[in-house]
Amino acid sequence: MQWLFLFSIALATCSASWAAHIDEEYNEELVLRALPNGKLAARFAFSTLLKGTTPRPPTKLSSDDASQHYTLFPLALGQLLREYAVTELHLTLNAGKWDYDSWGYPDEPGVGTGAELWTWMGDGAPTSIDERWKAIQNAFAGLFCASLGGMDTQRTTSPTRAFPPTGAMPHNARLRHATLPAENVCTENLTPFLKLLPCPAHAGIAALLAPHRVFDADWHGLGVHVRWRAGVGVELVLTVQAVMDPVRTSVEGKRDWSLRSLFDRTVPRACPVASSSHIKVFPPSSAVALALTPEPFWKGAAEAVYEVSQDTSDLDIAMRWPEEAKFTHPDRNLSSLSDFSVRRTLQGTTQTHGRLTVVLRNNRQTEIQTLYLETMPWHVEFYLHTLTVTCLGGKPCDHLFSNMTYIPPVPHAKPALLQAVLTLPPLATVRLSMNVRKSFLRYTEHPPDAQRGWELPPAVFIPVDSAARRMYTSPLLVDLPTPDFSMPYNVIIMSCTLIALLFGSLFNLFTRRFVVVKVYEDVARTVDVDDTKRK
Amino acid sequence: MSDTPVTPPVKDPSSLLFEQPRVRRTILASYWAVIILAVPLWWSTTSIERLSLPVSRVSTNEDKQLRFPLRVHIDVGQSPDNAHEVAVAVQERFTARKERSLGKLDAVELTLVAGEAVQPSDSDMYRVSISDDISHPLQYERRLAVPSSLTSQTPDIVASLFTPYTSRGSQSFEHIVSKYSPRYRLAFTLLNEDAASGKSVVGWDVQEAVSRHLSPILRQMGVLHNFTVESQVRFYAPLAFQPDLLMVGDETLHGLTQEDLKVFVNSAEWTLASSVSNDPVLHFVLFVPSVSHTPLRILDHELKPTSSNAFILPQWGGIVLLSLPSDSPSSSYLSEAALSSTFNTFRGQLLKLLGVSDLPLGVETNATLPLTDWQLDTLYRQRAVENTAGSKETLGSIVRLVDQISTMPVGHGVRGDIEDSLDALEKAYAVSWNSPTQALGNSAKALTHASRAFFSPGMLALLYFPAEHKYAVYTPLFAPVAVPLVVTALREFSAWSKARRNART
Repeated sequence: MQWLFLFSIALATCSASWAAHIDEEYNEELVLRALPNGKLAARFAFSTLLKGTTPRPPTKLSSDDASQHYTLFPLALGQLLREYAVTELHLTLNAGKWDYDSWGYPDEPGVGTGAELWTWMGDGAPTSIDERWKAIQNAFAGLFCASLGGMDTQRTTSPTRAFPPTGAMPHNARLRHATLPAENVCTENLTPFLKLLPCPAHAGIAALLAPHRVFDADWHGLGVHVRWRAGVGVELVLTVQAVMDPVRTSVEGKRDWSLRSLFDRTVPRACPVASSSHIKVFPPSSAVALALTPEPFWKGAAEAVYEVSQDTSDLDIAMRWPEEAKFTHPDRNLSSLSDFSVRRTLQGTTQTHGRLTVVLRNNRQTEIQTLYLETMPWHVEFYLHTLTVTCLGGKPCDHLFSNMTYIPPVPHAKPALLQAVLTLPPLATVRLSMNVRKSFLRYTEHPPDAQRGWELPPAVFIPVDSAARRMYTSPLLVDLPTPDFSMPYNVIIMSCTLIALLFGSLFNLFTRRFVVVKVYEDVARTVDVDDTKRK
Repeated sequence: MSDTPVTPPVKDPSSLLFEQPRVRRTILASYWAVIILAVPLWWSTTSIERLSLPVSRVSTNEDKQLRFPLRVHIDVGQSPDNAHEVAVAVQERFTARKERSLGKLDAVELTLVAGEAVQPSDSDMYRVSISDDISHPLQYERRLAVPSSLTSQTPDIVASLFTPYTSRGSQSFEHIVSKYSPRYRLAFTLLNEDAASGKSVVGWDVQEAVSRHLSPILRQMGVLHNFTVESQVRFYAPLAFQPDLLMVGDETLHGLTQEDLKVFVNSAEWTLASSVSNDPVLHFVLFVPSVSHTPLRILDHELKPTSSNAFILPQWGGIVLLSLPSDSPSSSYLSEAALSSTFNTFRGQLLKLLGVSDLPLGVETNATLPLTDWQLDTLYRQRAVENTAGSKETLGSIVRLVDQISTMPVGHGVRGDIEDSLDALEKAYAVSWNSPTQALGNSAKALTHASRAFFSPGMLALLYFPAEHKYAVYTPLFAPVAVPLVVTALREFSAWSKARRNART
């Protein structure tokens, strides 16, 4: 008890400003954006800042690292970043196709289907960048229960023009980027993700992340973003994005929503260690009257802001359209929310050749310049000389395609990398198309579910003047010639039979004994021809 | 052939060159020659690499033992006869303990020197002196001073200093000690059961506390292990069970029974350490129960609250419970001063987990460093014995395993590791009589190499591709080829013997 007494004295002297002792800061934010088509885009961002730190220099990898003491920053992730001297890292795990036309641009640009991982790492370590890249995949695969190990050299590229560092670089760094479009995202990824948060799943905004609701959304994705802000520190942002459909779940077909109807939860109480905790709601820009409850903490031009504070309990934000009896979907073709629309398809009926076509439509009155990036595994090889760029009416307009860099694929080893700048005239439709060859794979290179086909990574478009508005196309599925997998046994049996047959007849011929048989006139009729040949 | 004209008269086929028995037999022999010559090629291309292991070296090393001859000088001041008596008593106690230890102490041999004067420079010698100037037994460096009033207890104290594992409930102590590793990861976690429930500790000055309370020990143990230290704070860590609610006097308590302690760590929900390396982790958890579970106490077997607020989980780590007082603020920060008692407990737990024995009851030390040379020496010897035993066992298992499974490949890596391990083991035997630290270093090396050989992934290569598979694949080729070859050879042989019989008659 004496010890307890001493302890309370010690507490009293230092509890006044605990924040002053901790060089870490945690902020959380939820943005809810009501979309014109009745859906709701939700974006959770949990950011932790490790103040005054720099990423571990790769040259120091040979010596022991200093002890790491974290308060709010997740230790499991922090140690991984130190172990491999990662300067910047982005991992996204998404399911579904982001519909740019009707949902607009996402708050987090990384919405490519499947898994995408890219890192910026410094050189000069005892282990090479590629070795560390492989180790990072395995470590993150273990941390998030995702099969990132499939991002081998056959999928790794370095598209520096498309994925520049978002933070600062303390030393010369190199980019490694890979996508796995076939990766599925599910509860087993969300559970370890939530464990990285200071307040996982029971306090603060993270309490809303109920797996059965998040994974029921039309589109959902997780993101991990680490970067270094010079003079500030290492910043980790964990994000969850989802596009939910209140109309689908509503009995009356209305677009009214509340946190409880969307997530099956409310915000029960604040996270005690969050420096700030906001919920921002963006109503749709339509004339129909709507009611927002409870009264927001602060109201801006476009958004209403709620603050989750220590005296919050069971915060349930709701938005209702009282005058609307039933939601009517707007005409989809009226206007697109994105600057331009992209459609990418792979055509052709044979298993050896095909044609890749990308159709872009500029939705604005101004000219748009965009970077076009393809990271294509060697399974599909481009015939670049057949590349044609056509405008309206099939008119060739090759001048719209410029600044191309192309790294050809190495069969069985490396993917191709195609980067080019495309110019889209106002309100024009541009059509890019080229022949491709589908590769013939070795027997052992086929995946276990070979008949399913190969998912090709999405193409990426980055507008030259606004790099944050990165756009991903949907991934493609290519059907490569697939063998019958009992083939090796058939081949063995077949060749064994042939060899045995050849051997038998040769051997027979060499060792056969011929004898002369006298044929007498009177028995000639009864002696068969074959009997003359006796062993 | 039926149309073959009878004229001109046909040649006798046996006069043709290829119809002569000699030629036919040569052809047949050459077929067999090709097959027999191809067998070694086939054998070498399909057999697995199985290098021979140094089996005899492994078995000779199994019988060898470390030897630690220790010299103890006993000084009783004025009466040399008395010293002799003490020496005999020490030897007796020591032998008794040695027998109880089931061979674990066989390596240690005591040589007692009584009465004679010793060179002060002889630092390897342990010195026991009985003096009148002190009131408590005092142990420092490699010296032990006992007050003359306690002369009768001296043999016990000396024996237990040399053989700490047998001095207490030895089985349970050995069970706690973590397996030897050249590197440990020490993971400190401040675990709030539920920070949002009202009261929580949001930060701690762990860096300062570690450097003040643990760094001297970690430095002193540098010969044995390297340490990586990491720490984190978690704000939500639910228990997997509900603590018992009980009333003591007018106070309501939440109690952890001895059974609860075993399942205290909720490994499904708690992330307690990073997983960047394969080094074993020792966890140290400061657990802050939520307001609804405060105060949280440990119960004894009669379900009475104990005064202790900490417990050890064998080979896993230590846990300290911290029930916040009711007048503490909703979020507090623990300074180094407030952590002092917690880290003293952690230090004790760490020493236990690493196999450091406490000084015998009543013995004190005046040294500035936490461990005396005497304690460290005992630990070096203990770990060296453990490591050599471990490596001998591992090497023996590899040899037996390879012997048992005939399809297990043994590559250069495995053999190299086994040889390195044996080299280190032999070196450890050679140096153990004069340097326990070198013996320890070599025994650790032997253990590392032996376990690397044992877990070498190359040894598993062909376990999943049995020989039956191979035969199944070859049968369609070999059966149709072998039948005519054998049949013709037999027929040719019978023709030849018949011809010989005919020639004789």
